[in-house]
Amino acid sequence: METLIFWMLSAFAVAAALAVVFFKRAVNGVMSLLALMLALAGLYVLMGAQLVAFFQVIVYVGAVLVLFAFVIMLLNLKESVQPLISLADVKAATPAVLFAVGIVVLAWLALQDAAFSKAPSSLLPAPGIRQIALDLFTRHLLVFELTSVILFVAAVAAIVISRKEKNPS
Amino acid sequence: MTLYHFVGLGMVLFAIGATGFFIRNNAVVLLLCIEIMLNAVNLIFASFARFLYGTEGQIFIFIIMTIAAAEAAVGLGIIIALYRSHKTLDMSLIKDLKG
Repeated sequence: METLIFWMLSAFAVAAALAVVFFKRAVNGVMSLLALMLALAGLYVLMGAQLVAFFQVIVYVGAVLVLFAFVIMLLNLKESVQPLISLADVKAATPAVLFAVGIVVLAWLALQDAAFSKAPSSLLPAPGIRQIALDLFTRHLLVFELTSVILFVAAVAAIVISRKEKNPS
Repeated sequence: MTLYHFVGLGMVLFAIGATGFFIRNNAVVLLLCIEIMLNAVNLIFASFARFLYGTEGQIFIFIIMTIAAAEAAVGLGIIIALYRSHKTLDMSLIKDLKG
């Protein structure tokens, strides 16, 4: 049963990711990305990481994608006359894509060799929220505090970058 | 379900995101492709955390989500500024830095 759910969710996720790349309009891309995020949240629940699934829905679907949709509505983009994908772009991207595929193949081969390749088929229960919170607020406290600084800097930077420039008087 | 199923799915999603980043022209879609790649990495972190019984993988995911939110905010600010100065979001038409 779990395997069936896994395959359904992953097929859904791959289809949604392909839709993001191949939809012409950005709004459709944002909606496809929403489907991808929800499928990933389902996968997180499937592997016993409920806390991550909650944050996936709250942070990505609730904040980031809403921000994307907001900006697209704000800009009121016209339909582009350019073709969706031009041949020159594909030609220019080919070496990079081949390189990326090569890296993936190498990583896959490295995984086959690693010590955890014989992962047990019957899983122990996943670490609970209490254990994760204890770890986050003791051993990783500095990183946790630094992320709040990053968020603050990013918020200020977004305001500074996107506001209208005043005419020098 | 094994570790390989989840890691393989994450790799496929990352490859789709990277390919989209290289072949699309719309700046908003480029940011969406970056989000796909970040989510693929998150999935791989979560699967390692699950199958190696650690909490670090999930903590990394929270940090990455924070960075992704910050990146989306700054990236969308840049897009707004870009649209204001160039009246387009087609990256093939914006070549101010091309030597």
